[in-house]
This record gives sequence, C-alpha cells and structure tokens, in this order.
Amino acid sequence: MSSAKSAAAKAKTKRILNIVITYCILLIVAFIFFFPCLWLILASFSKSGSIYTFDGFFPTEYSVASFNQLFTDTVMYNYPKWFLNTLFIAVMSCILGTLLTILTAYVMSRFRFKSRKAMIKTTLVLGMFPSFMGTIAVYLLMTQFNLINQQWGLILIYSGTAPMGYLTQKGFFDTIPYSIDEAARIDGASNFTIFIKFILPLSKPILVFTALTSFAWPWSDFILPKMLLIDQDLYTVAVGLMSLDETQFSRFAAGSIIIAIPIIVLYFCLVKYMINGMSAGAVKE
Amino acid sequence: MEKAKQILRSFFSGLCNKIASFFKGIPQKLRSKLAAAKEIITQGNGNVGASMCIMGLGQLLYRQWAKGTLYVLLQAAFIIYFVMRGGADFFGLFTLGQVKGDAWYGIKGDNSIIMMLMGILSVIMIIFYIAVYITNIKDVYRTQCAEDTLKRPPSFTSELKDLLDKKFYKTALVLPIIGVCVFSILPIVFMILIAFTNYGGDIVPPELVDWVGFENFGSILSLGQFASTFFRILGWNLLWAVLSTAINYFAGLALALLLNKKCVKGKAFWRAFPILAYAIPGFITLLGFKFMFSYGGPINFYIQEGGGKAIGFLAVNSKWAARFIGLGVNAWISIPSTMLLATGILSNINTDLYEAARVDGASAWKQFIKITLPYVVFATTPVLITQFINNFNNFGVFYFLRDSVRSEGYFLANNTDLLINWLYRMSIDNNYYSIGAAISLIIFIITSIISLVVYVLSPAYRQEETFR
Repeated sequence: MSSAKSAAAKAKTKRILNIVITYCILLIVAFIFFFPCLWLILASFSKSGSIYTFDGFFPTEYSVASFNQLFTDTVMYNYPKWFLNTLFIAVMSCILGTLLTILTAYVMSRFRFKSRKAMIKTTLVLGMFPSFMGTIAVYLLMTQFNLINQQWGLILIYSGTAPMGYLTQKGFFDTIPYSIDEAARIDGASNFTIFIKFILPLSKPILVFTALTSFAWPWSDFILPKMLLIDQDLYTVAVGLMSLDETQFSRFAAGSIIIAIPIIVLYFCLVKYMINGMSAGAVKE
Repeated sequence: MEKAKQILRSFFSGLCNKIASFFKGIPQKLRSKLAAAKEIITQGNGNVGASMCIMGLGQLLYRQWAKGTLYVLLQAAFIIYFVMRGGADFFGLFTLGQVKGDAWYGIKGDNSIIMMLMGILSVIMIIFYIAVYITNIKDVYRTQCAEDTLKRPPSFTSELKDLLDKKFYKTALVLPIIGVCVFSILPIVFMILIAFTNYGGDIVPPELVDWVGFENFGSILSLGQFASTFFRILGWNLLWAVLSTAINYFAGLALALLLNKKCVKGKAFWRAFPILAYAIPGFITLLGFKFMFSYGGPINFYIQEGGGKAIGFLAVNSKWAARFIGLGVNAWISIPSTMLLATGILSNINTDLYEAARVDGASAWKQFIKITLPYVVFATTPVLITQFINNFNNFGVFYFLRDSVRSEGYFLANNTDLLINWLYRMSIDNNYYSIGAAISLIIFIITSIISLVVYVLSPAYRQEETFR
C-alpha cells in the first residue's frame, strides 16, 4: 500500500519537475529570441542616437526624436520615399509572382504533356546553381533593356524567377482530389473554368502562403536593389538603411522597426497558413 | 556504413543503366521522328509545301485566314529580327568580336560581353522559331488529313477555345517559361560560358574577350594565389554547411517538440517569440548583431565594465570567435523556420499510432524514438537537402558581419568567408568575372553531388523504392 503511494508521489514529483524544466527552457528560448528585438526597440527610442552613448544594452535617455527625424529630415536619407518604393516593388512582385507560380504549379500538377518531365528536371538542376550566379548577367541584361535604375526592372526579375519555386505549390495541388476535376468536366466545364471556379477557391491556404513569401522576399532583399538602383530616391529601405552612417544607430533601429512591423503583423495573422504551406511542400516534394 | 555503401552502389549502377538505356533509346526516337517527317514530306500536298516555304501560307490556301495571317506575321517578325540583329548576334557568339574599339580613331569596337549575351538570346529565339515552324507544318498537315477524310478541320475559334481547355497548359506556361528563360536560364548559361573565357581583370570591354577553355579552372585548382585561398575557404564552407544545418535542424525540431508537449499552456504565446525572430527581415537582424558585437557595442561595454579589455569579436585577428558568432546568428535566424515546418508535420501525425503504443505500454521516450522521430525525419529529408544547400550558399551572414575584413594568406577574402562571399567579392567588387564564374560552377558541382548522395541515402528515397 505504502509503496504504491510512494510510487504515485514519485510520479507526481517527476511530472512537476518535468513541467518546471519545460517552462524554464521555454523562458530561456523566449528570452533569446525576444531580447535582441527589445534591444532594437529601446535603441530606436534613444535620445542621443549613437550607440556609443548607450549604457550597455540600454540608452541613457529616451525620446521619439529618431522617428521624427526619419520622417522629417529627408534631405540626405529620404525614408518615406524608400518605404513607398519598397511597398510598390513588393506589392507588384507579389501579385505577378504569385500568379505565375500558382499557374505553373497547377499545370505541373494536373496536366500530363510531353515536355513535363524534362521541365521538372530542368528546374531541379537550375535550382542547384548558386542563387546569384547569374547576377552579373542579369545586370548586363538590364543595361541592355534599359531597365537599370528602374523599379520595373526589379519587379520583372522578382516575378520572372518566382515560378522556379513552384514545387511547394505543386505538392499542395497534388493533394486536391481529381474527382473534383472530373465532376466539373462532366458538367461541361473547361480546364480554365475548373481552375478559376473550383481549384482556386480550394487553394486559399497555398495562395496566402505564396503571396506572403513572394511579398517578403522583395521586402527584405538587398542584393538586387543594391546592384540595380543607383539614385538615392529610388532606394528600397534595405539599401537605404545600409547606406546609413554607423553613428546613426537609433535611426537605423527606428527605420528597421517600421519596415519590420508590417511583415511581423502579416506573419502573425497568417501563421496557420505558413505552417500548412511549409509542410505541404515538405511532405509532397 | 556497409549498408550505405550498398545503397550507393546500387544507386549508381541503376543510374548507369538509366543513362545507357537513355542513349540506346535515342536512335529509336530519332527513327520515329524521321518517319513522321518523311510521312509529312511524301504525303503532304502543295499546301503543306507552301507552309514549308513560308510559314502560314498553307493555312491561308486552306482559307484559314486568322491562323494563317498569325503565322505569316510571326514569320515576318522573325525574318526582320534575324536580318536586323539576330543573325549578327548569333555569329558574334562564336567570334566574340573582332574589331577593337579605339576612341582616338573614332572606331566603335565590338563589345564582346554584350555580343555573348545577345548571342545566347538569339539562340533562344532561333529555338523558339524552329518550334513554331514545326507546329506550323504539323498543323497544316493535320488540316490536310482532315480534308482528305472529308471531315471539317477545327475552326479557329474552337482552337482558341482549346487553349483554355485541353491545351490550357500551353497558355498558362507561356509567361512563366519566358520569365524563367530570360531571368534564370539565360544568365546561368551566360555565366557558364563566361567561365571558359578570359573576361575580367584588365580584359573588360573595350578590350576583346576570348575563349580560353579550362584555363580558369586550372588556375583555381592548381596555381598560386587562387588555389590556396580556394581550398581554405572550401574546407570551412563544408564545415559551416554541415554544422549550421545540423544545429538549425535539431534545435528547430527540439523546439517544435517542446512546444508540442501536453503540459505547455499558451502555445501560441510561446510560439510568438520565434515567429517574431522569423518575421524580421534578415538584413536588420544581421546588422543589429553586428552592432551588438562591435567594439563599441553592448557586449564589449559589459566586458569593459567588468574590468576586461574590449574584444574585437569580428575583427581581423578573431577567427573562431567570428565563426561561432556566425553560427549563432544563423541559428537565431533559421531555427524558427524549421520549428514552423516541424510543427506542421507533427500536427499531421496519425494520433492512432500513439494510442496503440500506449496500449502496448510503450514509454513516452520509446514513442518518441519509434514513432515521432522516424516520421519527422522521413517527411523533412527533402527540406534538409534544401537547407543544406542554402547554408552552403549562405551569403548574408558573413557579408554583413565581416565583409570589409581581409585575412592574411587569403586572396581577397577572410577566414570566415564562404565560397559565395568570395565569388561575390571577386566578380562584383573586383572584376574577376571569369574566375568568379568558374567558382560558381565548382559550387554547383559540389552541391549537386552532395545533395544527390544525401537524397539517395535518405529514408524518403529508400522507402519510395521499397514501397513502389
């Protein structure tokens, strides 16, 4: 009797210990991920602006001067303009890129045609090349097409290369049963109608995932804009913030926070779609 | 180990067989193609012949006005393109220019690099034209066959409708294919070709560029300054790819499992912190961490406060400190995405399996080892390969942390640089274009071999083989 009791007590302490340890680890993890963000937020409210006057991680005095400066002092660093540029490029590439990726994935999942296998293999091999191996060529190409220093040049590159990453989306379309297509075809619907009226409404999760990823890439990319945009007025936020002087740390922090907020909000609202989208591609790839 | 060897051996013998059968199949395929061509040539009537001479003429003779006009216009457009520049572009690809520009005498010379780029473009155009030409002949022959059997050939409108139905794939793929051809394939082909020229250094337009064969690879792998730097960077790059992939994968998996535990309340709250890290654009994180570890940054502030001397974590003379910081920062950035992925996969596990295991009296640990882990590893292997390649080519981390540093014994590089950083600095900042292109080809070969081997050894591949 007593041994059973002690065993139960032992199991209980073990469980409590388990819970305590779990929460300790969670706290540490949360701290590790949150602290740098907190540091950046605090830094953006620093009064002096320079990192050298900080008291360790914390500014000595607080004010909103950096944010003010960001939007009013636009002669050297025109942050509002950069922000609008980034928004324009990201939204346009998101729309075009999502459209092209979804079309490619749908076709590759639903149709069987002669060059399909060859196409799939080609994209796999092309994916193995270092991502910006062709950067110089792209640069020269853009000079030939007169698209250097133009936002449309960037949009074309982002959306033109987007279909290469169609595999995740194809994995999703593969999971939509064929019986839907067949039923619609008996009713006399063409493939185009099936795609628009039946498949697309079912694909909301993957549409959201695709749109989100193809928005986030131009939003935070720095390699292409840095190479293709020359005028300060055309800069995206990434290039602009990188051009800031090192003494302007809190201005950098303030600019970073403003550019990070929209994407953070999007991710938090759509986290369910992210998880589903990522695993859809993983299982089916 | 024995097992792995066996799998690899069977895979490569299978691969060889596949390649052999592919080449054995070529004559047969060719023969059937030739037979089809012969049939069209011998059986085709005058209208087919007309289409062979001028695209679309046959269709016009069959009174298919819209389609015929379309083909004729395409033909005209191609001829204009070819005469205006396509033809010259095409031959320019081989010569890479013969006239050297001279501002003094007012000679506008050839720009070899633009000639090469436009040459590749003209090859793509010619391939497109040939494809259109063949469909044109096939189309008119189909019309002839239909007429012969007294059937009505499909009208132009019905054919257009078909483009939204049976041939919807053609319509849908036009734009993606153009985009990928121009912005992915053309640049890659261009860089592959550049690797076999002497473009770079002093030899940039208006100087003429020439083909040099495998010289660039020779100088990377066997000669002086490039070779020693290359092998040092390669060693670290491989180590980096393995370490960072392992850290990110297992830590992300562990985090997902931790958050998946029954006793954790408020999962959404705890999950929010890694997602926050995931959502912040990478360049912000990297620049932020650079500030954090800089001489005047907070870490050094506390070191000095404690009586120590400021440490240059990312400066010239720190090798392993900078490398570990790189690994840590990369983990901070990448663990959340692995966590999200693993969370998604964990939510798909069939819960009946656990039920059955509990009935059988399996401990929690045993359930984890026997059910959870195999499932997750199986499902994530393709992602693991992608992550490995991404880490191998992780440009951002050391570009932001240590781009301006040069180490002794390295040519235009430092001891934390990955191949991709070196390649970028060589070609974009310092004009060593051909060497840079050769490096990227070598990176391609390494990554594709590694991922092929990992893929073959992975459970996903093996199971697929056994179950099918």
